[in-house]
Amino acid sequence: MPKVDITIEVCGMSGDGTIAAGGLLNAAMSEAGFSVLAFDSYPAEIRGFGRCVTRSRIGNEEMLALAEKTHVLISLDDEQSRSRIPFLEKGAAVIFDNKPPSYVGEGHAIPAHVEPDINLFGIPFSDLAAEASGSTRGRNLTALGGFAVIFGLPPEIFRHVIQKKFAPKGEKVLQANLMSFDAGYNFAMTAFEDRLLKILTPPETEEKTEKLLLSGNVAIAQGALDANLKLYFGYPITPATPILEYLAKALPEKGGKVLQMEDEISSIGAVLGCYYAGQRAMTATSGPGFALMTELITHGIMAEIPAVIIDAQRGGPATGLPTKTEQSDLHAAVFGGPGDSPRIVIAPTNVTECYEYTVKSFQLAEKYQTPVIVLTDFFLDNRVENVPMPQASKEALKDGNIYPDPSAKGPYNRFELTESGISPRAVPGMEDFMFTTTGLEHSESGGPNYTPENHMQFSEKRHRKIQGALEDLSIPKEFSKGGSLDVGVISWGSTFGSALEAVQKEQEKGLKVGALKITSLFPFHDEIIRGFMERCGEVLIPELNFQGQLANLIGHLHRKDVVRINQATGKPIPASIILEKIEEVLKA
Amino acid sequence: MSEEHFVVIGNGPAGNQAAQTLKEKAPEARVTLISKEREGYYKPCLLPEYMAGKISEDQIYLSTVDAYKEKGIKLRSGQEVVDVKPRRREIVLDHKEVLRFDGLILAVGGRPRIPEPLLVFRDLMMTLKTLEDAKTWIEKISRVDRVLIIGGDLTSLAVTKALIALGKEVYFMLDENAFWPLRCNDDMFQDVSDRLSKRGVKTFYNCKLNSMAQRSEHAVEVRVGDDIFEAGLIGAFFGLVPNVGFLARSGLPLDRGLLVNETLNTGFEGIYATGDCAQVFHPEIRDYWVSIGHDNAKALGRTAALNLLGERRPVDVATESLFDVQGIKVNTSWWMEF
Repeated sequence: MPKVDITIEVCGMSGDGTIAAGGLLNAAMSEAGFSVLAFDSYPAEIRGFGRCVTRSRIGNEEMLALAEKTHVLISLDDEQSRSRIPFLEKGAAVIFDNKPPSYVGEGHAIPAHVEPDINLFGIPFSDLAAEASGSTRGRNLTALGGFAVIFGLPPEIFRHVIQKKFAPKGEKVLQANLMSFDAGYNFAMTAFEDRLLKILTPPETEEKTEKLLLSGNVAIAQGALDANLKLYFGYPITPATPILEYLAKALPEKGGKVLQMEDEISSIGAVLGCYYAGQRAMTATSGPGFALMTELITHGIMAEIPAVIIDAQRGGPATGLPTKTEQSDLHAAVFGGPGDSPRIVIAPTNVTECYEYTVKSFQLAEKYQTPVIVLTDFFLDNRVENVPMPQASKEALKDGNIYPDPSAKGPYNRFELTESGISPRAVPGMEDFMFTTTGLEHSESGGPNYTPENHMQFSEKRHRKIQGALEDLSIPKEFSKGGSLDVGVISWGSTFGSALEAVQKEQEKGLKVGALKITSLFPFHDEIIRGFMERCGEVLIPELNFQGQLANLIGHLHRKDVVRINQATGKPIPASIILEKIEEVLKA
Repeated sequence: MSEEHFVVIGNGPAGNQAAQTLKEKAPEARVTLISKEREGYYKPCLLPEYMAGKISEDQIYLSTVDAYKEKGIKLRSGQEVVDVKPRRREIVLDHKEVLRFDGLILAVGGRPRIPEPLLVFRDLMMTLKTLEDAKTWIEKISRVDRVLIIGGDLTSLAVTKALIALGKEVYFMLDENAFWPLRCNDDMFQDVSDRLSKRGVKTFYNCKLNSMAQRSEHAVEVRVGDDIFEAGLIGAFFGLVPNVGFLARSGLPLDRGLLVNETLNTGFEGIYATGDCAQVFHPEIRDYWVSIGHDNAKALGRTAALNLLGERRPVDVATESLFDVQGIKVNTSWWMEF
């Protein structure tokens, strides 16, 4: 089968069924055996106005990042889709409604704006849907029907995913959607008979690995469920809300509980309370909510109470850009809050890691008795990938708590100064292990103690403990042939996929370029990072923030200034930008 | 004051030349060129050679789609005009977009002509007018050994040549309606028949086409006179008819094509017709004439554009170069280019 790597966009107005169409398209592509990486963007407002766009990169190899150019644009609203025209690849296909309800003036239809090399496929979405199902609501399905024909996808695949999505809504709804799809399919079959592109016909002989279409948020929620989460507390906020929604349904089915709290402060308070009592608990929020949590997070650090916090970053500061992506909470996650308050901060780079790192976060929180912050971002939370069914190993699911020895003699010092900094932690109800806990600086027993020596000793204990966590944290992973490199790209979070894609393109040309993935952001493996940097002529750090927050964190490890690629546009960073910078640096 | 907007419909030699002339002479004006075809401007007479694999697709283009942008012409390719409202100075596109214009040049060309008696076999016959058609021929030709050509216009001879070059067996049925716009006499037919036979083409002349029937995916059974044979493909070549059906309700003057005066004006201010689709009035003979062929079309396109911009230049055609064919005056000076 020839290499397939195409990007498909569905664009429409809020309420056009854009996101639903994109979701069905992704599901169909996954079922057809293609790799899928998809991302939706939509307005912050609930409904009625604003542009919705789904971008799906489809291929027969693993997709690392979104592509910059679009090969197929399905326009459910031409006014909205105009903004997508600059992103069309030469010779791209545009599928649009060529029979809108009324005549439109010049420039109000997408054909007015496309370059002449663009393949226009006009399908009367609304008319066909209305004729087939009695309502124009299924026009997004009609568009998919046309798409399926033009690109050579068997209709059964689409019918199957439509069945899965709409069957729960009743036979009438299901049939209306199926009929709308078929209407588009049959129309395109005749209308475009001589123009079919058929580049997505799935291979019949190739063995398909069973894959699951997961978003980062669902992977996080599923990871928490598999990790035997008992209690979830949260307050809705984009882009973390889907975690709350998913768990609200799934967690009670497993005997757990979900409570929507009055705000983020009470959410983190409840998580600490539960974990204090020995139950796995988690919360998820975004920047503004995380800011509210910081004081109590440091309480968890001081009182050495585990907690798992997902910070789904979005554009900031303050309310910022609720539905746009950014990696600008790194400083807040690592340093936020009063006092010297070391904590563990980890950041997955793809959907599979969202699952794995969530599972792992509970163990880390328990073993190191500290809040663990899992940093994701809007792009990672909302993007969809089809991945092999994630499954946590038995080892990863083990209880991370280190309990006091029941046979130990003498008084129990909850905050005993140990070599590792980890003090065996009793939970309420354990006989003979009563203790005091407080947010005040304390002695080994837990009682308040403000002496200079004690504060120094305990500050050191807390940092020693967190630094010790490095042995359990994922080490940075290098993607190169080793040896000296002309350029090294260090990246984290959702940006890593773009960085790796850019690096791989340069490596294919035989250039000495490598990538380093960092998922442990605090504490971090400075010796490994420094070792990589020392082998690089130049170090590039692409990030979705204005300041270059990772560069600020690790830049000092390099003998000279690192090259920052800071993008604060609210959009994922494309591989091409990183590629351009690599080339620029290589030329210099 | 908003800029002037000139619209040209049709991206053949006449339309292309008209759009270029408009932009050259009125650089401040907005020029939109609308073409049903998705390709750039190419020379249709080269399609048989392209079909035969003698030249590449690139070689048939006279102007790529990118070139229009460079010239400041907005090319809308793959878009179809379905109506013209001359009084409101609007055109309507298939996707229900309405464009207002200050000046309009209709250069919509022609479409393959199939004589009435053969229309019943339309679905079994292929034509060659566009690049898309050529691609369809190329796709299908490799799967067949024998091709029947019916008609006999100049394209049919070029296609026959291409098919022979591709090693195909060619049957040729010279039809009495052939060679439109030229009416052939028996001597001419005999001459063509002899020439074809010498090239190994089996010809049928003065025979009646009795029936055609699809026997399999790649075989059509044909009965011509007393002969019965199978052909993998059947090509029909009877010249072109102006592509003006969409103007039926426009109010523009129509006969076989669009009727225009000697300055190519349709009688509506700012609306001109040019190229194959125009029937041009000749003041001397007091009759309309039509013109076919690449070079003539270009010249007409330029004239229409200049007149739209204010000139009153008549189309200069010597009466002696006009032939009467089936009651229609035809400018055949284009013949030379073949």
